[in-house]
Amino acid sequence: MTTQSQKSDPFLSDRPVVEPGRPLIEVEDLHKSFGSLQVLKGITTTINKGEVVVVIGPSGGGKSTFLRCLNLLETPTSGRIWFGGEEIVSGGSLQRDGTDLNLSHRARERNLNRYRSDMGMVFQRFNLFPHMTVLENVTMAPLAIRHVSRQAAYDKAMELLSRVGLPDKAAAYPQQLSGGQMQRIAIARALAMEPRVMLFDEPTSALDPEMVGEVLSVMKELAANHMTMVVVTHEMNFAREVADRILFLEGGNILEQGAPEKIFNSPQNARTRDFLGKVKKD
Amino acid sequence: MSLARFSAWWNDQSENFYLCFVKNDRWRYITDGLGRTLEVALAAVLLGALLGFILAIIRSTHDKHGRLKFLNALARLYITVIRGTPMTVQLLIAYFIVFSELNDKVLVAILAFGVNSGAYVAEIIRAGIVSIDAGQMEAARSLGLSYTQGMARVVLPQAVRNVLPALGNEFIVLLKDTSIASFIGLDDLARGGSIIRSQTYQAYIPFLAVAAIYLVLVMLFSKLLTRLERHLQRTGA
Repeated sequence: MTTQSQKSDPFLSDRPVVEPGRPLIEVEDLHKSFGSLQVLKGITTTINKGEVVVVIGPSGGGKSTFLRCLNLLETPTSGRIWFGGEEIVSGGSLQRDGTDLNLSHRARERNLNRYRSDMGMVFQRFNLFPHMTVLENVTMAPLAIRHVSRQAAYDKAMELLSRVGLPDKAAAYPQQLSGGQMQRIAIARALAMEPRVMLFDEPTSALDPEMVGEVLSVMKELAANHMTMVVVTHEMNFAREVADRILFLEGGNILEQGAPEKIFNSPQNARTRDFLGKVKKD
Repeated sequence: MSLARFSAWWNDQSENFYLCFVKNDRWRYITDGLGRTLEVALAAVLLGALLGFILAIIRSTHDKHGRLKFLNALARLYITVIRGTPMTVQLLIAYFIVFSELNDKVLVAILAFGVNSGAYVAEIIRAGIVSIDAGQMEAARSLGLSYTQGMARVVLPQAVRNVLPALGNEFIVLLKDTSIASFIGLDDLARGGSIIRSQTYQAYIPFLAVAAIYLVLVMLFSKLLTRLERHLQRTGA
């Protein structure tokens, strides 16, 4: 952004300021069950500003559920989450449908929408809006939520489309694009809200192999520009190269975490060793 | 058929045609009736669409989130009753019981047909909403849109597009159904034919003419709908 004052910038208004020295996201004893199936069994971790955290682990281990709990696409069964120092999930006060007993449904929804607009999410299956052009996909949320001017939204969108290498696709519809292009547009769409953290849910798993690289390189560029990122992925090379910290998640618990060199070269946990051994064979 | 017999038959038909449509300005029964039919059908379509959207959103919001329990029960009752009873009976109940104070037959017909159509439109739209991948709403919510915004901007436009043929069919049924409005004495297109028959004792010409007009209306509408579908296909999925 240019050097505008924070107040006049619609992208930055009404955002809580993170207390200095406090992590951007704090998760404490997070549990999530689907019926009798316990998927998360007490996750505690923090995500610092500017950090790239890569979550790895076997399928069904709770990686995606963990990510989806962060922006409350799934409502945690119990536990606490702070985002920017603000408590967005407080233990034990959630009803079955996620309603905080201390707040009216309407007030809670308003808060929720604000948190989510600050957390960009990229999905495995892109989830672009097929009835909108690429440009409309990218400008829709800033226009609808931040109430920026059409010109500002357009300028921002074109800047982002250039950043992901697709400025000439603004007028195209999603189904005219390849998977890799769709995922890059999805990243641009999330970035248009100027989120403080980007969540990636297996962003390359649905792609043909030759398209994985173009998406990863966009993500690397984001990381290089100090975007805070939480990435669930099976791309071990990406994890090794880009991550500041690796979380190994299995059976609903974080079994091991640390710097990539440590995790990949000298994993302490037997399950981590086992998993990495299997992945390397592939 | 000999030429003489043909010309006698032709003369008869011309005379009948004159009797049915020209004499005493009887064509006015047809044109006035057509106007009333279109008025009732168009207004009822709008009312039905409005009711249908509201009911569909209530139903699908409830099924997905368990909220709006009372409204959902009401919506289900409404849909069950409307779909479970004949349109003619509903019209008679509307005219003689529910709106018995109302003397405006056109208005009663609009309300009866609109309320009826709403139940069918609701189920069509609901099917459309269910057909949209859950990831679409998730993507909208992840950007910070509210549930309502996600519905209005992302889910409903796609849902309506998917069920456009079924909606078109419902509108065609509604247009033809308005012909039973003669049960409450509304002078619509079908009744226009009926009045001419009772005055002239000619059945063929007035009823065939009425049928032809309905047919042309439906064909015109189908054509418009096909065009709209093609247009939507060109602009996106």
